[in-house]
Amino acid sequence: MRGILVIFGRELRAYFFSPLAYAVLASFLFVNGITFATLIGYLNDAPSAVGAPMEFFFGGTILFWLALGFVGPILPMRLLSEERRSGSLEILMTAPVTETQVVLGKYLAALAFYLVLWAPTVLYAVIVASYSELDWGPLASAYLGVLGIGSLFLAAGLFASGISRNQIVAALVGFALVFALFILGLLEFLVNDEGARQVLGYLNLIQHMEDFSKGIVDTRRLVYYASATAFLLFLTSRTLHANKWR
Amino acid sequence: MIEVHGLTRRYGDFTAVEDVSFSIGSGEILGMLGPNGAGKTTTIRMITGFLPPSAGRVSIAGIDLEERSVEARRQIGYLPENVALYTEMRVREYLAYRARLEGLSGKAAADAIERSIERCLLADVRHQIIGTLSKGYRQRVGLATAILHDPAVLILDEPTVGLDPKQIIAIRELIRELGLERTLLLSTHILPEVELLCQRVVIIDRGRIIAQGTPEGLRQQWLGRTAVTVTIKEAPPDAAELLRAVEGVDGVAADGAPNGPVRFSLECAHGRDPRETIFRLAVERGWVLLELAQAKASLEDIFVRLTTREGEEDGGAAPNAAASDGSGAGIAASANGAAR
Repeated sequence: MRGILVIFGRELRAYFFSPLAYAVLASFLFVNGITFATLIGYLNDAPSAVGAPMEFFFGGTILFWLALGFVGPILPMRLLSEERRSGSLEILMTAPVTETQVVLGKYLAALAFYLVLWAPTVLYAVIVASYSELDWGPLASAYLGVLGIGSLFLAAGLFASGISRNQIVAALVGFALVFALFILGLLEFLVNDEGARQVLGYLNLIQHMEDFSKGIVDTRRLVYYASATAFLLFLTSRTLHANKWR
Repeated sequence: MIEVHGLTRRYGDFTAVEDVSFSIGSGEILGMLGPNGAGKTTTIRMITGFLPPSAGRVSIAGIDLEERSVEARRQIGYLPENVALYTEMRVREYLAYRARLEGLSGKAAADAIERSIERCLLADVRHQIIGTLSKGYRQRVGLATAILHDPAVLILDEPTVGLDPKQIIAIRELIRELGLERTLLLSTHILPEVELLCQRVVIIDRGRIIAQGTPEGLRQQWLGRTAVTVTIKEAPPDAAELLRAVEGVDGVAADGAPNGPVRFSLECAHGRDPRETIFRLAVERGWVLLELAQAKASLEDIFVRLTTREGEEDGGAAPNAAASDGSGAGIAASANGAAR
């Protein structure tokens, strides 16, 4: 546990010292800000559909997925690949810490920074609440979805970082993995087999987010995120181990 | 303190290290010598737990590295060949991070950090960002990291590579000091370093141990006795007898015409250097010395002989071999036999 905390602390600090993290933070907020402003403008137009802005914000636009799809691979891309490239992995792995501790410490740091990215969006909700009614329940469940899907994407990104020596390669592999996870659910509409369609339907992340933003919390989905994340992290710790055999 | 048994490492068909066994006693300084690519770093990586061996066992202070890996690693302070640090951190901050990673906290950590900083002469740069430090300073930060948790075993892989001569001297001094209280495994291809620091030597070539022992023992084993050559202009008849009486001289052979210069070949007991006595003797007797030379084999000669492969003898290694005395030819041949 202690080892996890030490590594978590270092990596989180490292985020705040890296220009990349600020670039991600800035562009993430830029994209979200535009989304939010556009939504408010749209919903204020008389003939348009009536709806809750925060619901649209989380579940209603593709911009949400664009932002998430980039952040997932980019935040963790450096975490392991850079250690391997520079050789600092050797000093790290000969310290009295296990592979699992290293992976969890780094993962949690990425997750924490991810939450930092989202934190300012709470302001949007506050703005909305000050001008109209806001249902806080669905907002909370939307953030739960953000956390769940984010953990999954970040785990995929970390795994990609674990198998590469180069940050850019890690980001690209991570992007492919995140895209695969995303597209898996959309295949629902492309298969004819009823069983397969049903299984894939469970994995439809767009549907998940739509429901989350309406306040529907399906624990099966949470279990899916948690178990897939755990599996990816397990694979990542194996890559650290397997790397030794190369 | 360190027990290495039958350590083997294969990469596919290539065997990088084969059946390496040695042990290092508590407080001992062992030098691991070998040409580049001999398998030193691979061996060290297996001992520090970074690389799992294909076969063989390592135990550190009686703790099996495979079964109780974290515990065993806690005993080790390691300076890798490539000292890769987190370049965005400051020196003290980095040491604090490492101290926490080693399980130190509070006052114990603060004390350990201060001790390391002082020990490795880092006080001037403690607040500097590691990325801005010179290679020599980074090496020292690496060393400070290795001794933070006051490990019983210190493993240093090529600690002076890439440093300027002044830094090399400083680092060696530091290593010598650190070695007083700890078990130390030092890998290098720089021979004077071994002669200077190590009590025992393991020579590795092509993944195998080809010789091990004390530097003196290796000399004895591979090169026999030291010899001194004295040439005296117009040597008196009793010169041979007088030289024979010099302390440390076991045998004298004379070669030369009467009334002309005579060349005496003295055989000396191991580690004895009678040249100063001979000089004084010559001054006392009024002899004119034309030559006074010692043909003493250095570890370098042994190393070159042991690691020279057949077919290379006429090439790169020849100048070195020629630098020692001519009596080495037979040994070189047998050493080659051993190397195979």
